[in-house]
Amino acid sequence: MAYDKILVVGGGISGITAAVEAAEMEYDVYLVEKEPSLGGRVAQLRYYFPKLCPPTCGLEMNYRRIKTNPRITVYTMATVKNISGGPGNYKVTVEIAPRYVNENCTACGECEKVCQGERENTFDFGLSKTKAIYLPHPMAYPLRYVLDKSALAEGDLERIKEACKYNAIDPDMQPQTVELEVGAIIWATGWKPYDARKLDNLGYGRFENVITNMEMERLASPTGPTGGRILRPSDQAEPKTVAFVQCAGSRDENHLPYCSYICCLASLKQSLYLAEQNQETEIYFFYIDIRTPGRYEKFLRRAQEEARINFIKGKVAKIEEDPETKDLIVTAEDTLSGKKVSQRVNMVVLAVGMQPSLAGETLPAGVSVDENGFVQISEGMYACGCARLPLDVMTSNETATAAALKAIQTIVRG
Amino acid sequence: MARIEPDVKTVKEIQAAGGDTVKKCYQCATCASVCPLATEEVPFPRKQMLLGQWGFKEKLLSDPALWLCHQCGDCSVYCPRGARPGDVLGALRNMAVRELSEFKFLWTFYNKPWGLPIIFLIATFFVVLSMSFFMGGIPGFFHWDLIPSLNIEEAHILFLKLSPNVLAIDAVFVPLAVFVVVMVGIGVNRMWNGMVENAGIPAAYRLGFWALVSTYLVPAIKEILAHSRFQECGANQWRFNGHRMLLWSFIILFFVTTTVFIAADIFGFHTPWPLYNPIKILANIGAILLLYGVISLISNRSRAAMEGKLTSSYQDWFLIYLILAVGLTGILTEVLRLAQVSLYPLMYTLHLIVVFMLFLSIPYSKFAHLVYRTTAYVFDLYSRDVRAKMAALSAAQATEVAEGAPAEESSVEAEGASTGEEAKA
Repeated sequence: MAYDKILVVGGGISGITAAVEAAEMEYDVYLVEKEPSLGGRVAQLRYYFPKLCPPTCGLEMNYRRIKTNPRITVYTMATVKNISGGPGNYKVTVEIAPRYVNENCTACGECEKVCQGERENTFDFGLSKTKAIYLPHPMAYPLRYVLDKSALAEGDLERIKEACKYNAIDPDMQPQTVELEVGAIIWATGWKPYDARKLDNLGYGRFENVITNMEMERLASPTGPTGGRILRPSDQAEPKTVAFVQCAGSRDENHLPYCSYICCLASLKQSLYLAEQNQETEIYFFYIDIRTPGRYEKFLRRAQEEARINFIKGKVAKIEEDPETKDLIVTAEDTLSGKKVSQRVNMVVLAVGMQPSLAGETLPAGVSVDENGFVQISEGMYACGCARLPLDVMTSNETATAAALKAIQTIVRG
Repeated sequence: MARIEPDVKTVKEIQAAGGDTVKKCYQCATCASVCPLATEEVPFPRKQMLLGQWGFKEKLLSDPALWLCHQCGDCSVYCPRGARPGDVLGALRNMAVRELSEFKFLWTFYNKPWGLPIIFLIATFFVVLSMSFFMGGIPGFFHWDLIPSLNIEEAHILFLKLSPNVLAIDAVFVPLAVFVVVMVGIGVNRMWNGMVENAGIPAAYRLGFWALVSTYLVPAIKEILAHSRFQECGANQWRFNGHRMLLWSFIILFFVTTTVFIAADIFGFHTPWPLYNPIKILANIGAILLLYGVISLISNRSRAAMEGKLTSSYQDWFLIYLILAVGLTGILTEVLRLAQVSLYPLMYTLHLIVVFMLFLSIPYSKFAHLVYRTTAYVFDLYSRDVRAKMAALSAAQATEVAEGAPAEESSVEAEGASTGEEAKA
């Protein structure tokens, strides 16, 4: 007997879309997310394509669709441990890590005020800290705190429990295992930024003012570590000159052999952030080819008009730091003039490529990925968004809807 | 619109010569930025990769950049496409040596594995012939009656009292040296003209041979002796020391050989000289340096190949092992002679044969880098000067024009022409 439910793994924009689309076709859906909140990468952005909306826009709307649809069951802090069976009748073991905060939580924030222990804020890529008890981000779903027990300071637990008026703190919570029976599985596990430390010639991790494009999103975000002001890490000064280094890891056999699709546009978009902050900011945009797929060509024109961008056709392969000023000297060959250029800038943004989240992970049986970690599709096992290939939000959502349809077809076929 | 046709034949030639990855390049220019030797004004090897993909042979083979590269392999390691620019440049150097040479069949013998026995036979023929003629064969091994050998008295009369063994060597190596010098001269001349043409150096800035030698050769040789560019090539540390030792050993051995030649041929001091003779001591130091240098090159090249920094071709190994053979046979000859082993004349003959092979290889094998790289250094220093002068001149012109003095424009032109004249003079 075939099961008529669908499992969606990953609660970012693609997973949410797949879950909602399937549920609105009256199929029961389990949505499993590894982090304490839904939202994924989109939640970390300042604006997202195609219309440069703030993430609240798309996420709030989708959260509402989840809340009002009883067919969707959301598990956060949950990971898929095991899969058995085949198309139409999978048995999936999901492990749920303890949150140590129960459903009573109203996100009033009293606990956070009294907590002294701190942890690195992974949502801000370590650019800021949170308390040991924290809200994953202001747009969290579920809107509930999480406790990182390992970061607690002495006496924190007592103080937190006392501060909580709703009896929501439960330090004895245990990991849970649930067995799900589903007919089809949609992988919407998304992507992670490629580890920029591996690009040893670009100085990330050694030079303070070399940041990644995702860190730039957090700096520009009003919910980020600087409240939306783009300041360079070494002295918290507004950068007057910024270099964008395209293809940092992408289109490179030694790193990611494919084009990450969105980085050129992301850097153009971030040029607009800089222009928005200070019209005078001088931008040096180093590229191999500027790739603006489809109608995004228009966006290139817009960026050229609104920001002061100097385009230099040539990949940056060397970055040095001036130890006094912490400025950076970026070296590339300008292939149009045929001369080597060394440009001094206040800050460098590496357009780091997308790596599928599953790359390098141990995977449950039944799911297979290609040599780069992208999910390979088979009957009953579908993938959407950046788990499948590097994409923008709009196209991710299209693939999510398509994956929902494919999953339903597997179930209907029985 | 001009239509540019690729020269497919040249592209295939490059691919066959060891540049099989040339077409993978997508012109991102990572190579030119990571290269510690590529200058701001004339960066490489990205342009050379593009020219290689189109097969623009003349432009490529008269490009000094080929020789300014010391093949550290950084570009190949960082290349995002596996296009291995360092190896492509190596292949291009190889092709350039062929294009610049005269008697191209000799290049073929030196650059194909099947040519090795042929060169060996050529060398053996000349050495053994000469020894048979002057010494009646290899002492203690064979006597070649087919050749009417000279007795010592006849030799003395004919050749100013030179000993037969000196005569046997001179009769082979003096003409060989002349041949090599002429061949190298032809090659350097072709290379220079090509580079001047290719770089578009205006006639007014072209210098005569002696002006070039006196102004630029000395600083170029200083750089080479210090190996300063080689060392700048950061990733080249593994090769730097071995290569420098080898260069110095060649200089020492060249000096020693010349001294012995003058002493033996002109003043009649017979060899072998005693071990305590300063020249002999120097010669032995040279031999040890040579062996040390070549062995460290072998081990380091193998290691670099394992790390993926460079691919070694037949031509690379040929030269290294030939030098090793020269060193080993030389030292073995000395040891066997001192130990009074009767095998020693045979070993000596073998030594002369491999030295012949090495000598003759100068215009044809990878050994040619000795002259062509030096020429490229000279050209590099010279063209830098020319660029600086031209930039200064055009800057001066620009200011004058900006000042809006139409009457003075003609005087600027005159000035430009006179500078040209001076340069010519």
